[in-house]
Amino acid sequence: MSMLPQLLFTGICIGSIYALVSLGFVLLIRAANIVNFAQGQFSMLGAYFMVILFASLGLNYGLSLFLAVVLMAVFGVLFACVSYWPLRDRNPIAVIISTIGAGILLDNTVLAAYGPSPQVLRGLFEGEGFLVGPIYMDSQYLSIIVVTAVLVSLQYLVFEKTTIGKKIQATSQDREMAAILGIPTALIVMGIFAYSAALGGLAGILIAPILYVSVGISALIGVKAFAANIIGGFGSIPGAIFGGLIIGIVETLGAAYISVPYRDAFAFIILIIVLLVRPQGLFGERISEKA
Amino acid sequence: MKLLEIKGLTARYNAGEVLKGLDLCVEEGEIVALLGSNGAGKSTTLRAISGLMANVSGEIVFNGAPILGLKTAAIARLEIAYVPEGRRLFPGLSVRDNILLGSSNRRGAPATQLKKEVDAMFDFFPDLKALEHAYAWTLSGGQMQMVAVARGLMAKPKLLLLDEPSLGLGPKIVQQVFKIIAEIRQRGTTVLLVEQNASVALAVADRAYVLDAGVLLVSGTPNELWGNKQVRAAYLGGLAASA
Amino acid sequence: MSTAAAFRQKTITYGLIGFAAVMAIAFIAPSEGYYLNILMHAANYAIAVVGLVIVLGYCGQFALCQAAFLGIGAYCVGLGTGDYGIPFFVALFLGVVITGLVGIFLGLTTLNLNGHYLGMVTIAFQMIVTMVLTNWAGFTHGPDGITKIPRPAGFGGGSTYLGLCLVCLVAVLVFAYVLKASRLGRAMQAVRDNEIAASTCGVDVFFTKTVAFGICAALAGLGGGLFAGAFNYISPDQFSFGESVVLLTMALLGGVESAFGALIGTVLLVVLPEWLRFLRQIYLAVYGGAVIAIMIFMPRGVWGLVSKYLFKTAPIGSAPVKPLPLLSRSATVSDEIVLETIGLAKYFGGLKAVDGVDVKVRKGSVHALIGPNGSGKTTMLNLITGLYVATAGTVKLSGQDITALKPHDRTRLGMCRTFQNIRVFRGLTVLENVIIGAERRGNDVEGIDDVTERALAALDFVGLRDRAHLPVGDLPYGHQRYVEIARALAGSPEILLLDEPAAGLNSTEKTEMAELLQRLKGHGTTIFIIDHDMRLIEQVADHITVLNFGRRIADDDPRSVFTHPEVIAAYLGEPRNETA
Repeated sequence: MSMLPQLLFTGICIGSIYALVSLGFVLLIRAANIVNFAQGQFSMLGAYFMVILFASLGLNYGLSLFLAVVLMAVFGVLFACVSYWPLRDRNPIAVIISTIGAGILLDNTVLAAYGPSPQVLRGLFEGEGFLVGPIYMDSQYLSIIVVTAVLVSLQYLVFEKTTIGKKIQATSQDREMAAILGIPTALIVMGIFAYSAALGGLAGILIAPILYVSVGISALIGVKAFAANIIGGFGSIPGAIFGGLIIGIVETLGAAYISVPYRDAFAFIILIIVLLVRPQGLFGERISEKA
Repeated sequence: MKLLEIKGLTARYNAGEVLKGLDLCVEEGEIVALLGSNGAGKSTTLRAISGLMANVSGEIVFNGAPILGLKTAAIARLEIAYVPEGRRLFPGLSVRDNILLGSSNRRGAPATQLKKEVDAMFDFFPDLKALEHAYAWTLSGGQMQMVAVARGLMAKPKLLLLDEPSLGLGPKIVQQVFKIIAEIRQRGTTVLLVEQNASVALAVADRAYVLDAGVLLVSGTPNELWGNKQVRAAYLGGLAASA
Repeated sequence: MSTAAAFRQKTITYGLIGFAAVMAIAFIAPSEGYYLNILMHAANYAIAVVGLVIVLGYCGQFALCQAAFLGIGAYCVGLGTGDYGIPFFVALFLGVVITGLVGIFLGLTTLNLNGHYLGMVTIAFQMIVTMVLTNWAGFTHGPDGITKIPRPAGFGGGSTYLGLCLVCLVAVLVFAYVLKASRLGRAMQAVRDNEIAASTCGVDVFFTKTVAFGICAALAGLGGGLFAGAFNYISPDQFSFGESVVLLTMALLGGVESAFGALIGTVLLVVLPEWLRFLRQIYLAVYGGAVIAIMIFMPRGVWGLVSKYLFKTAPIGSAPVKPLPLLSRSATVSDEIVLETIGLAKYFGGLKAVDGVDVKVRKGSVHALIGPNGSGKTTMLNLITGLYVATAGTVKLSGQDITALKPHDRTRLGMCRTFQNIRVFRGLTVLENVIIGAERRGNDVEGIDDVTERALAALDFVGLRDRAHLPVGDLPYGHQRYVEIARALAGSPEILLLDEPAAGLNSTEKTEMAELLQRLKGHGTTIFIIDHDMRLIEQVADHITVLNFGRRIADDDPRSVFTHPEVIAAYLGEPRNETA
């Protein structure tokens, strides 16, 4: 029983990563109406950019982090231009398949360049950690939670308190109407791609010291971000965050109390249960009827 | 002075032609109504002006410059505001934010001034003041229409395109909305109005065009059109026109 | 010769050609070694890819776990024959059944939701299968896999076993070919092209999708089982997520419209990587790039490109067919009530779109529902046909309460409709569209010949017989409306519901539409019609119900309705009292 607080801490930390990636995923659903099956690859790529900049080129950590995130944002736009823009007026399945193609392309390009052996990346802080009551706060784990909390709050502030944030919301709620008002919707959608990729990349960089950097990150994180989204409610921003946290906590507890090899299965089991019991997700509105 | 001139406008959806060579013009300072039954091509005309139709040909000249082919957002920046059918408010934004975003076409307008203008909008639509922070989706149809018009006015438009402002509103609210439309013109904004409710539209309009199946049926002043059998027939068929 | 007989003959011919071809291949193929392996690999994968063609190409549902099903099939054979001593063919059969059932279960969880869910759940499923295969070592032999999997007695040799695989492949191809032209296959394609229209044509959308996914899974199970025997060795990494993507790419590259596309795609992608050995390191990356390129530049795949140039459907002969049964009736309006709504209501949040409306449609009458924009007419029609669930009130068809029935069940009882924004099945020909209408359950037709004749009769009636062979999307807008009407008429409806049949038509077309409705009326067809064109309504309607703000404001014969002050006010506004 004494393990429980520690496990919850770890679970929230892992869940924060899923929440970050899931957040990027849900923003794309809302702004561009695309389901991006290459969301996990953003994390993988972010981590490898960090490996290149920090480990290979030997830049200082802060600068590497900054550059890696900027590179991811640029990459997000490139990604949109190749796998979304040419197909934007077609069947949504065409875009889904195209993002899957992009994911495979990215995974295997990196695999060809770096091979399967994982790369090591140090954490945001070099310090050890400290004890708070029964919980040992590892500095890397703590930094993940803090960064996630800060980013989520920042995003909330930007979306709710600034005009640009309101224009983004307007674009995601009714793109044609936003254009009628003179909002540059194409620019905003590209911006969302950039932000979504940067968020994913940052999540990859944060989780790297815990998981090591390998191509496997893509599938692992990407699929859980989807699962988080469905559990929380498809297209819901708070749903994405809470869905991510729920998966993080459940799989950490599951691994500790039930089975380690199946830790990755717990997310999918909750997913299937949610689909059976409450398909609109925890925060989702009722799936609207339309003729 | 001609603010808007449309010549030979043709528009199609998929395989169906909705407009077949429409000519019309709007003088500065006028309220012009576009009347006709459903499917006559009224809304399509407004959508074409706003750059929302993919398959259009002909000529649309605004303020002396051709605008056909420009992007929707670029047309908005020319100070044409379009208040579409069904209001189309952003449901998850507050009333204030919805109104504020109407100014999106005015790049570089300082935020403090925009805030003042939104406040002025609440003076113009006093009923909305209490709803300032309510989400748009919680409003009634009439309130939504007010917000949509206010949002359109925030663009400081030279030309305001109003699509079916009476749609789904009770008679009292309709009267209110049209009183506001008359006031808007008093303040110097030109209005092109699409309306199914002929009598209220003709009560405020200077001139009207009646469309039928994508072509102009008849045009003239309200007095010429009111009681015109063709107009009644376009709405209610021959039985009502002969009654 | 009848359609059915001609199709049967064509199928047998293709089947025999295929059989001869594979026998030849098995005969000349080496009995072991590299080329044999390539052939076996291609044959087994192609079976699984045909499954994807059925679920994605026929039915329009997107799934990404074909490798997992392949794996389940393979492990059934591997474990069954090895650890449990089950004979090969029994194990193979078990594999097919188990994968099929798993597919149906997965389908049941998600297929009543919209498009993306199945995709995601299947990815999750794929991950779970890989995990179980790798980690449950006590049962699956873990990451090392299973070795020394036996082949069935009599098929031990390389070329005989290849022959077995190829015969299965030919059988599967023939099955897919027959399926596409069957009632179920047409239902799948209808679901793919337009779920709402499919349901109002009597297709049980959820059931159809689930069956398609079950077939898809079962075929992967078959391919997987044969795969296990082909290579005598299986391991979890052969059935990973990456392989699912490879299988999907095969289907997309070949073209998902036809099983032959599956064959082309599989052969290309099995053979190409072998030729492109220099790409070994990045060949999966090239796959990924190819997927994007195919989606952008070749959305119909290789087969789509080829068939566009090779095959032109021939016009369907003008041999006379029996006219529609409804044409044998004469115009009589009886007092019998066909359709009745009592206090029908639909609220969307606070908006009362339809607010307690009563309508009675008498048999043989043309009953119109009119009202200004936004007055609730289309909502009313959606409530009657079951696309919306009513907030309150009752709908009765021929006296039977149908309020709780799904749209396809209402169609079975004889309710057929058209849509304001045309909903035809774009991937099908005009004739196929109408056949789907004709073969609704509850219609008095038996067999494809009967159904085709009924469909042709309906096309005769609307005057589109000479266009029957064309893809419906090639027809102009006005004609597509007639296809919809023919589709509804072919089902011999008790009541025909028309949602703005004249919308978007030009004046000539409107006149033609009025004539068509007059003809239907002349044969005593019960029609419930919504339209804005009052000249059309006053020409055809016996009775008119007027809605405003979701409430009934008038319900009478046309002359009384059009002179009703409240109706005129609703349309033209209050009369002007100032004499300006």
